[in-house]
This record gives sequence, structure tokens and C-alpha cells, in this order.
Amino acid sequence: MNAIEVNNVSKSYGSVKALDDVSFTVGKGEVFGLIGPDGAGKTSMYRILCTLLLPESGTATVDGFDTVRQMNEIRRRVGYMPGKFSLYQDLTVQENLEFFATLFGTTVEQGYDTIKAIYSQIERFKDRKAGALSGGMKQKLALSCALVHQPSVLFLDEPTTGVDPVSRKELWEMLEALKGRDITIVASTPYLDEVRRCERVAFLDQGKIRGIGTPDEILTRFADIFNPPGIEHSQGGEVSGENVIEVEHLVKAFGSFHAVDDISFTVKRGEIFGFLGANGAGKTTAMHMLTGLNQPTSGTGRVVGYDIRTEHEEIKKHIGYMSQKFSLYEDLTVAENIRLFGGIYGMSDEDITLKTAQLLDRLQFTEHKDALVKSLPLGWKQKLAFSVSIFHEPGVVFLDEPTGGVDPATRRQFWELIYDASSRGITVFVTTHYMDEAEYCDRISIMVDGKIKAMGTPDELKKNYNQPDMDHVFTYLARQATRSSD
Amino acid sequence: MKQFRSFVIKEAKHILRDKRTMLILFGMPLALMLIFGFAISTDVKNVRTVIVTSSMDHLTQQAVDRLAASEYFIITQVAATPREAERLIRGQKADMAIVFGPDFASKRSGVQFIVDGADPNMAQQWTNYATGVITNMDGGPANVKMLYNPQMKSAYNFVPAIMGMLLMLVCAMMTSISIVREKEKGTMEVLLVSPVKPIMIIIAKAIPYLVLAFAILLIILLMARFVLGVPLAGSLGWILVISVIYILVALSLGLFISNIANTQLVALLLSAMVLLLPIVMLSGMLFPVESMPTILQWISAIVPPRYYIEAMRKLMIMGVGIHEVAREVIILVGMLVVLMTLALAKFNKRLE
Amino acid sequence: MTLKYLIQKEFIQIRRNAFLPRLIVMFPIMIMCVMPWVMSMEVKNIKVAVVDNDRSTLSQQLVHSIEASNYFVFKGQVPTYRSALQQMEKSQVDVVMVIPQDYSKDVALGHQPQVLIAANAVNGTKGAMGGNYLTQIVTQHVNPDIASMQSRISTLFLYNKHLNFKLFMIPALFAIVMMLMTGFLPALNIVGEKEAGTIEQINVTPASKWSFILAKLIPYWIIALFVITVCLLLAWAVYGITSAGPLALIYLLSMLLALFWSSLGLVISNYSDTMQQAIFVMWFFVVMMLLLSGLFTPTRSMPSWAYATTYVNPMSYFIEAIRTVFIRGGGISSIWHQLLALLGIGSVMAVWAVLSYKKNS
Repeated sequence: MNAIEVNNVSKSYGSVKALDDVSFTVGKGEVFGLIGPDGAGKTSMYRILCTLLLPESGTATVDGFDTVRQMNEIRRRVGYMPGKFSLYQDLTVQENLEFFATLFGTTVEQGYDTIKAIYSQIERFKDRKAGALSGGMKQKLALSCALVHQPSVLFLDEPTTGVDPVSRKELWEMLEALKGRDITIVASTPYLDEVRRCERVAFLDQGKIRGIGTPDEILTRFADIFNPPGIEHSQGGEVSGENVIEVEHLVKAFGSFHAVDDISFTVKRGEIFGFLGANGAGKTTAMHMLTGLNQPTSGTGRVVGYDIRTEHEEIKKHIGYMSQKFSLYEDLTVAENIRLFGGIYGMSDEDITLKTAQLLDRLQFTEHKDALVKSLPLGWKQKLAFSVSIFHEPGVVFLDEPTGGVDPATRRQFWELIYDASSRGITVFVTTHYMDEAEYCDRISIMVDGKIKAMGTPDELKKNYNQPDMDHVFTYLARQATRSSD
Repeated sequence: MKQFRSFVIKEAKHILRDKRTMLILFGMPLALMLIFGFAISTDVKNVRTVIVTSSMDHLTQQAVDRLAASEYFIITQVAATPREAERLIRGQKADMAIVFGPDFASKRSGVQFIVDGADPNMAQQWTNYATGVITNMDGGPANVKMLYNPQMKSAYNFVPAIMGMLLMLVCAMMTSISIVREKEKGTMEVLLVSPVKPIMIIIAKAIPYLVLAFAILLIILLMARFVLGVPLAGSLGWILVISVIYILVALSLGLFISNIANTQLVALLLSAMVLLLPIVMLSGMLFPVESMPTILQWISAIVPPRYYIEAMRKLMIMGVGIHEVAREVIILVGMLVVLMTLALAKFNKRLE
Repeated sequence: MTLKYLIQKEFIQIRRNAFLPRLIVMFPIMIMCVMPWVMSMEVKNIKVAVVDNDRSTLSQQLVHSIEASNYFVFKGQVPTYRSALQQMEKSQVDVVMVIPQDYSKDVALGHQPQVLIAANAVNGTKGAMGGNYLTQIVTQHVNPDIASMQSRISTLFLYNKHLNFKLFMIPALFAIVMMLMTGFLPALNIVGEKEAGTIEQINVTPASKWSFILAKLIPYWIIALFVITVCLLLAWAVYGITSAGPLALIYLLSMLLALFWSSLGLVISNYSDTMQQAIFVMWFFVVMMLLLSGLFTPTRSMPSWAYATTYVNPMSYFIEAIRTVFIRGGGISSIWHQLLALLGIGSVMAVWAVLSYKKNS
């Protein structure tokens, strides 16, 4: 018997067809990938399978039970981690986990072995409020909460967004262990290495299934979407000798906890500087100090020639920033957002109008300029957010995980924008969990436990640590971590 | 059962951890009770009075002395002409003027009150009191007895009203927000997909608020009795039973709002605008229902606090038996049944 | 001029919101059309029952004079005091008058008879006024002397000749509408940006604290301008009530009140972590200031410690000043110190709103 059978399911919201005649089956104990770009209909599919939505036509069964009529049976058997799963911010790590364990009729002790690989990384912060965890740590806790019970079918909607490469590997090892216990898993992910770990994948695009098969079959068949050709980057052209960022012995302590622990580095004008590290290594905290959002505890730093401690408002005039969480105004249109931020940076109306037209043209957004930002797909939002952050031609732009959860084709376009900016002399300071992106950087640093453990060009690092690619370099360094949060 | 308990505990933690909200929730009844008990009243007191007389004869002097001796009036000035008195009132230096005619003693001419009529109620009361003092009606034939509230404390009238307002606020507003918040944050999806029955989720959510409301109720009752000296004349048992019925009505309303609203902002505004305003305005809490135009009286008939406040006034202050409030209790129970059925029937077990 | 762009953004956001524009237009209309009818604390229709133990011509005369008074609703005669009290418990009667057995004899002999007036004083005002009027009727009936004296008392009510409650309450309603519109919306504003995460993007821009906060305040002042205009128009169109004093002063007062409430809203928003917190804290201030402002009860009846709070309560200054202008027709000379106080408190709040907004922690 198949664990999941979906027959000709359709679903629309107003005039938008989210799912259009979708059919597929998943065998018992199979790891099945449901992949496709943002807005393809994956979330709607999950919700229908979890009995949260009713299909308009077609039928779906989970473990032999109909999703429309046998809601209670299904809810007793499935586990679901929604894409925008957020924990209870005011409960501690342990309280969250215990609550979800009890909710699913089990205890933390019983499920501990299953989640150990991931939970052990955050366990020492079990008394901290979930709201005080860093982005990636929250995701790990959410995963632990979703996996603490052992349902017969598990639905994971992009579970690894914002999670560092090492932890992602550990997660998939866990999922494979679950498979051994006959648990059926349906997961979606924008990471190709994760797609390859599925037994079969379905490629969903604009509500339609474009193909089902082994990962290799699908990735080859739709290579232009999943494996866009790499980007050529002419290095060194613009990099001058001048330091744009200079940091010495920078420390940020929260009580006795040193989130950033004595880091020193410099970034030269025009460079693309990759700032890598595991979740909770201190990347975002460091970036907040450089952008003047936070005061350092000790140490000095200069950004575009200004002191980060005393001249942070000056710094803000000369930098761009794109935060981890999308932070343009969703209730403003594309053009209105651009105009607002252009205006804040003191550009004149004529300048704004002229440059807006150019920008929209370059992004091929012109026809969507009056669309509300909240109606755009994630990849577009990210490209827009980046373009807004460099709209005023800053000296440096800080990008905090700009491509989290974005599909490969859009990521490639995103990096073309970064190169474009870099060629105009804008220094780029970027964090990412995609190791293929790390290779695109001129120079990278890898942070572990608040300290910079390695720094150099990607080639230098590979050579120094004697590893075949950045993924291995990262894994090698990050596995040396002793602490695991914030 | 274990799931249920951990649910209730989790919900209680949400409430307890938000210190500021807790502070307001418990500070509000305290502050309201103190304000209504000690700070504000509609008593006639310290009325700034101007005496206008051309000849201070014996009888006039007596009347003025009586006015000055009473706690109601303060004689701020003696003016020569009514025009001058009027000027003082217009300049906000006085509230009323008492003009004694030149031949007041010989009973040939009379007395005129010139009153700042901006506040009609107070203006009328001032003239009443002044008439009483001048005509020296004390020891007159009428012996007025103020039943149930001999000291005429406004707290007697307001304690039931405060109960009606706060219980509704805590239960309806907070329950609806806490459910909508889970919808907004996406945790509701996980809760719904869990093996726990949706109805249990709702009940578990309601219980901490029920307890909280009950705690607030007890605080109000204790303060009313021991700080404000309001008698709990009626049966305490029935007061609590009716309060619980009312709390349940409020919880159902909160649940109902959470079914309609999808964002916290809408839930907040719905509770504040659609719930709170009618409660304060139409329930007879501040403004007597019988003074309203008929159409508004009809509307007020569907406002639950109206019956609760009415019942509490009768039970607590007047100390009547339960059969005297049977009508109110029956209406409240009826509302509870209707609202609860509606709210549960409308509760979404799915996301749409 | 970054301010221009920030203000434009605020307006677009308000306009785009599905709920706010409707609220801003409908709320003042609703309040102005419904509330004046509700907010009458006028005591009328006091229900009286009489127990006549004398049953003489004289006592019946007294009963008739009560029946004839248009102040009372006469509920008839009841055999015993006890049964009258039972009616009171059922809320069928508000005041009971008991005429003693020897009423006519006492009056004839020139003694003072003892007429008992028992009022339900759960609502103190109602009980007091009912008792008072009945006392007057009885006194006049027993002592024609006093009656003649009372007949010589005349009353001139200034400003509100017909003792119209709506005239008294409408300026107070302006205060309530302004308070709710310019208080709650800003209180939700910054904390809303915190929850959405957009504040972080603003914080890394060079936009100054002053322009950011001013850009948030100005839209609410413009809304306040609109709201007060709607209120004034409705007062005139629906109730035929217009201001006795200069309109310019009404606008000035309203703007100063809006300055205070919108600034307080932003201060609360700056300190709050969630919308729920913001709304509860705001609500606390609204209720406290409203109750202690003298809007419902006269401030002069307060004990001195409570009266002292009116010196720092902008609502109290506003209520006093707007009633002076709107009802009594006062000019700037009669309210200048309220104006100064409002300006002072409002400015302090606005500065606090700017200082409490942290771009860098």
C-alpha cells in the first residue's frame, strides 16, 4: 500500500491556481522530495495532505485515510513542520520541546534519540527563551519539536532554511535513520545536495507537476533550472589597496557570554567578502556592530573611515544593509519602497525617478512596479531588497543571508546583481550558508564560536586545509566548535 | 489528559511571562476601585459661590452664614451687582451667584440664583441644595432615608460596573488575541495537525483566562468589601455563580471574535471598538439605560454586561433574593447557549 | 528632506490598510451620532410609590401634587411600606413616600409631621435628586411659609439655558474621539514595525530620530484636524449645536491634545515588545486620565489628593478649556493657562517620544 496517494488534486485562491491537477504517490518508508520554486504550490499541497485545506477537486489519501473525510485519523498519524513555523518566543527551549512532545503524546526522553544529533547542539541553552535564539538556532529547535514524536508520515516544508551546512547534513542523517523505522517522509528544499538525498522527487512548478523521478533524472532533465551555469567573475579589477572595513579585537558580550569574541579583519574597497560560520557563531551580532545597530563591548572598528563606536550615524549614510528577515514595507509597492529609501538617503526626486526606471528595467520589474511587495515571490523580494540597499550607491553593502530559501536559478540571478554592484566599486560583505556561493567570493572568513578560525581566498583555504571544496573546508572547521548557540 | 494539562500550563506561562500585561490586568481593578471609591464623585461640594447683596440685613446675613457653614458651598466673594457676579462666573472664578433682593428681610423681594448651567445635572443640584439651605428645610417635615447606600457612595453603583467591564475585557479580548496570535505565527497549523482534538485546544486556551478572571473577580469583591466598605448584601454563592456564567459568555464572545479575525490588529480593534465601547456606553455602567432613546435601549438589550451589572447591583448592594434576579440570569444563560453554539460551530478545524 | 518621504510612507500605509481609513471616517461619525443620546446622565422618570397611612383629604392632596408633578412617574398607592420595598427590590419603584397616620392632624395643629421618603440610593445621584424633589413638594405642602419663600426664588441658568445635556456632553465627546483616534493608532504603530522587522531597515539608514518620529506624528495631527472638523460639522448638522466661542481656539486646543496623545502613543509603542502590551498600557492611561479629567464628574468634588492629579492631566485642562470656549463662549484670556499647560505637557511628551526611540543599542 502506498503511504500517500494524490489523485488529480486542484486548488485555487480566487483566480490564482495554486495546484492544477496534481497526482503522485509516495511509497511507505520512502523519502520523497517535493521541489520547485517559491510559489509553486508546495505549501498548499502540504496543507491539503495535513487536512488543513480542502482540495477543490481530486482526492488525496494519507496512510490509506481520506484527507477530507477521515481528518481525525490522519491527524493522529502525521507530523508537520510548516514553512513559517515559529515557536513560542516566550517559552524556553526546553518548555517548547516538552510542550510539543506532550502534544504528540510522547515525552522528550522517548524521542531524545531521534533528535539528539540536532537538539544536543542547543541543549545547553535549554533555559533560554526561544525568542532570544539566533535565526538558525530557532530553526533547529523547530526541527527538534517537529521530530520529537515518530509519526508514520512526516511532512517537512523547507526545514533547513537558514541552517548551516553541517547541521543540514546532520538533519538528513537523522531523516535517513527515521526511514529505517518505516517512516514516510515528504520534504521540500532549495538545496541541491538535499534533493539528491531523496529517493524520488516531484518537481512542482506553477501548480503543475512537471516531472517525477529519481533526483538525478529530475536534476538533469531540468538542468537549466536547477543547475544554472556558474558565473564568471573577473577578479581583482576594482580592488584597490584602500581598507573600507577595519576591525580590531572586536568583542560583544551579553553577560558572561561572548557572542563575538575578539575578531580582527580588514576588507578592501571593491572586494566581495564572504562572512561564513555555523548558526550562532556570531555573524549577525558582528554585522550589527559594523552597521551601527549595536555598540561593541570592546575593541575598535572603522567602516568607510568612521568609528563604529562614536560615528555610527555617519556610517549609516555610507552603507547599505539587507537583514536576514525581509524588511522592506510589504504594504508599499515596489516603486514606493524604492522612493522611500532613496528619499531617506537624501536623493533628489529627479534622481530617484531616473534611477528607479533604470533599476526596474535592469530587474525586468517594470510591469510590476505598482505591485504590492507582499504579493511578490520570495526570490523577487530578495532581489528587490538588495537593489534597494545599494540604490544610494553606498561604499559598502552588508548582506545577511540574502539568498536563504531561494531557488538555484534565482540565486544565480542574485549573484549577477552582486557582481554588477561590485564592478561599480561597491564593497560587498555577505553571509551565506550556500557553499557554492562561498566560492563566488573574493575572500572569505569562517567564524567558529565567536572567533575567526580561517581567512583567505577560497583557493587558499582549500589548499591550506587540504579539502576538495568549500563545503568540506566548512565542515572540517565547524565540527571543531564547542559551543552551539548565539 | 496529560496533553490537556500541559496545554493549560503552556497557556498560563504565556500570560505570566508578559509582566507588563499582568501588571495592567491586576493594576486596573485596583486603580479603578480606588478611583471610584475615593477620588471621583458627583457630590455637591466646594461650589464657589458669590453673594450679591446691596444691604446685608439680619435675615440675609443668617442665610449667608448658613450657606458658608454648609460643606456644599464656599463663599468666594461678595459682589455689589449681579453684573459683576456674572462676570466672575464667565471668568471661571465662580460657579454660581446668589442675588439677594434689597428687601429680602421684608419678604417683599426675592432671591435669584445665577448658575453656570454648562453641566445641567450639577447646575440643578446646586440650586436644589441652595434652596434647601436658604429656606432652612432641615428639621422640616420630610425625613429622607437613603436605602442600600446611606452614605451615597458612588462606589456602590460602580463596583458591579467595574466587574462587568473587566471580566469582559480579560476574557473576551485576551482569549481572542491569544488564539489569533497562534494563527498569525503559524503555530496553529501545528496544533491543528496534532492528535489533540480542536475543541480541547480551545478549552485549554480558555481555562487560564477563566482562572485569571476569577482571581480578578475575587480581588474586586475583597476590595469592595474591606477597602470601600461596600456590603455584599446578597448571597455570595449566587454572586459567584452568576459571575461564572458571565465569564463564560465573555469567553464565547472572545472565541467568536477569534473566528472572524485573522490578525492580532483586527482582533484588538474588534475587541476594543466593537466590544469595549458598547459595554461602557450601553450597559448602563455609566449612563442609565432608561435615559436613552428607545432605539438605543433595544440595542442595549443585546449587550450582555447590561444584565450582569443589573443583577450584581441588585444582588450585592440591595441584597435581594435570587428570584428577584431570575430574569437577568435566564437571559445570561440564554446568551451563553447561543454564543457558545455559534462560536463552536464556526470554529475552523481547518485553515479555511 | 527625508521627512517628506517618511510622511508619504506613513500615509500610504494608512491608506492601504483595509481597516484604518474606514475607522478614521466612520468612528467619529458613529460616536457623534449615537453617543450624545447615550451620554445623558439626566435623571428623569423617577418612579414613586406612596403609602398613605393617613388617608385624609390633606394627605390625598399631597399625593395629587406628586401625581401632578411632571418630574415623577407616579406608580400608585401601596398599602404598606413593606410591599413598597418589595416593589423597589423588583426595580419597579425608585422612591417610596410614607405619609404618617397623623399627618393632617399634625399639620392642622402646626406640628411638624414626619413624612418618610425612602430612596433607592444604589445610584446616588438618582436617589439624591428624587429625595430632594419630594422633600420640596412635602415642605411646600406642610409649610406654606417656606412655599412662599421658595416661590420667591428664581434661577437664571447661564450658557445652557435649557439645561441641555447634549450641549454639555458634545465638547467632551470631541475629547474622547480625539483621544481614541490619536492615542491608540500611534501606540500600535512603532511596535507594529518592530514585529514586522521593518524598523531594523530604518535603523541602519541615516534617517534621524527626529524625522522618523515627526513623520509618525504628523499624519496623526492631520487625522486629528480631519476628525475635529467632522465632529464640529456633525454637532451643527445633527444637533444644531455650535461653538459659542471662537472656532480657532477649538482647533488650537484639539491640536495640542493630539500632540499629547500621539506622543504618548509613540512613547508607549517605543517601550512595548508586542501590540498587546502596547494596547493594554495605552488603555490603562486612557481610562485613568478620562475618569480623573472631570469629563463625567466635577473635579471640584474630588478630595484634594485626587484634585492634585488634574494639574498633570492634559485631559482635564482640555475638558475645562473646551467647555469654556464651546459652551461659555470664553476667549483666549479665559483659557490661556490651560493652553500653556497643554503645550508644555505635549512638548515634554513629544521630546520623550524622540528620546525613547533607540536607533543604536
